[in-house]
Amino acid sequence: MTALALARPYLAFARTSFLNLLAYRARYFVGILTYFFNATVWYYIWRALFHEKGDGATLGGFTFPQMLTYVTTGWALRSFYFNEVDREIASQVREGRLAMTLIKPVDVQAMTLSQALGESAFRLVLFTLPIGVLLGLVYPILPPASPSAFALYLLSGLLSALLVGAINFCVGLVAIRTTSILGVLRAKYLVLELLSGLLVPVAFFPEPARKVLVWLPFMHMNDTPGRIWLGLATGADAARALALQAGWTVALLLLGRVLWNATARRIEVQGG
Amino acid sequence: MESLRFHARLFALYFAQYVKARLAYRADFATAVLASFLGTAASFSVVLLLFSRFPHLAGWSFPEIVFLYGFSLLPYGLFSVLSANLYEFADRYLVEGRFDRILLRPVSPLFQIFFESFRLESLQEVVTGGAAVAWAVSRLPDLSPLGLALLPLWAVFGAVIYLSVFGILTASSFWIEDRVGLAPPVFNLMAFGRYPITIYDLKVKVLLSTVIPFAFASFYPTTLALKRADFTPYFWAVPAVALLFALLNRALWRRGIARYGSTGS
Repeated sequence: MTALALARPYLAFARTSFLNLLAYRARYFVGILTYFFNATVWYYIWRALFHEKGDGATLGGFTFPQMLTYVTTGWALRSFYFNEVDREIASQVREGRLAMTLIKPVDVQAMTLSQALGESAFRLVLFTLPIGVLLGLVYPILPPASPSAFALYLLSGLLSALLVGAINFCVGLVAIRTTSILGVLRAKYLVLELLSGLLVPVAFFPEPARKVLVWLPFMHMNDTPGRIWLGLATGADAARALALQAGWTVALLLLGRVLWNATARRIEVQGG
Repeated sequence: MESLRFHARLFALYFAQYVKARLAYRADFATAVLASFLGTAASFSVVLLLFSRFPHLAGWSFPEIVFLYGFSLLPYGLFSVLSANLYEFADRYLVEGRFDRILLRPVSPLFQIFFESFRLESLQEVVTGGAAVAWAVSRLPDLSPLGLALLPLWAVFGAVIYLSVFGILTASSFWIEDRVGLAPPVFNLMAFGRYPITIYDLKVKVLLSTVIPFAFASFYPTTLALKRADFTPYFWAVPAVALLFALLNRALWRRGIARYGSTGS
């Protein structure tokens, strides 16, 4: 009962975030097209690369149908975990709107994360599912390797959303120290597309880069769920990957708290 | 001629003014350039990662792919520098009423929209792309000198194509209420132009060569230098395509402005 009472304000934030997005439905139809194009360009690139190697070839341990599945499920997952928490928190600080947030008797990080999850819930229904269906109709995508792989994939996908929320909270707090926040955020998207394994699985990176990547949180955004779906990580491997993913999420949430405390101390809100 | 000189001078003044304002905060500008470069480096790494391992893609060698991708950054960088206002036009100018101020001045509104603000840090894309092309040229012994000599000019035409296509999409906000519109998916189509067009199916090739002519902005301009005779007619069509879309853009803006009613704020 007390747990529910504690969670209630955060559920309200998640719900409001969901409803706010509903006002901009039209954007999501256009967004479906955007994701479809993104996955499509990679369909052609991988098709051409596999074609060079001959039919039935494997590259980096992937067959072409596996790679196609990795790329399309990856973009569909991105449409779910994507959020703009960083932009929101940065603009609140810049515009002085943070005062209104600070006077609320809630934890700012928990509030921000609830908003991110509310957004993800919205995206799942109006975005990820239609994109998944569209991609599934157009491209020969492999089903999950097994029912348990699918269950683990759902868990891993949910963790990705939390992980991205945790990362973005930190990024937003770092970005406010520069005045070109949008520039920093634009760069973030491109860097994360590379490091998350969204565009290219980590298996394709040269050995030294791979050694670094496995010690970073970013590959758990896409590479980990992708390998679980395909059955390339099963049993103990999958458990280990999920544990790392969860561990990184917790670690980055803690880092976010530290950054927030350091930021909150420095904030001076104008009378405005 | 008189008008051209007037506009060139005006552009120089706008640009100088913007640069001064931007460089007032040097450390911040340096951060922006660094961030922009990191983004470009990350996208480029994807290309290097894939194509250095698989040295041929549909008949294109690794240096040729680098040439293509590097060149694509030139029109794209110029476009990014000049399109700072375009994306937020509907919000900043139409909804917030700034467009009235633009209309009061005796200079083309479109000129003011394009040149009132710049994304200066995107110039690094032009430099990075140029460096990549230079590296590729050093690896490719047999290039057409004429094709190389025309590259900078063709990059400008490419930027005109990008600016015109997004100008047309932006002009649609004079008619359509939803302010984000079709720009994001079209923006993502730019990625298609960075790879050899031969990897796509016919429908994609047709799309990129007609309605959304991005192949004319970044792929066809490289084909003369790389001696792909099949595509030479398309190479020579680039200036005409740029002109056509620029005129379309101008016509649409004129009609949109004629239709514009101020919010009164």
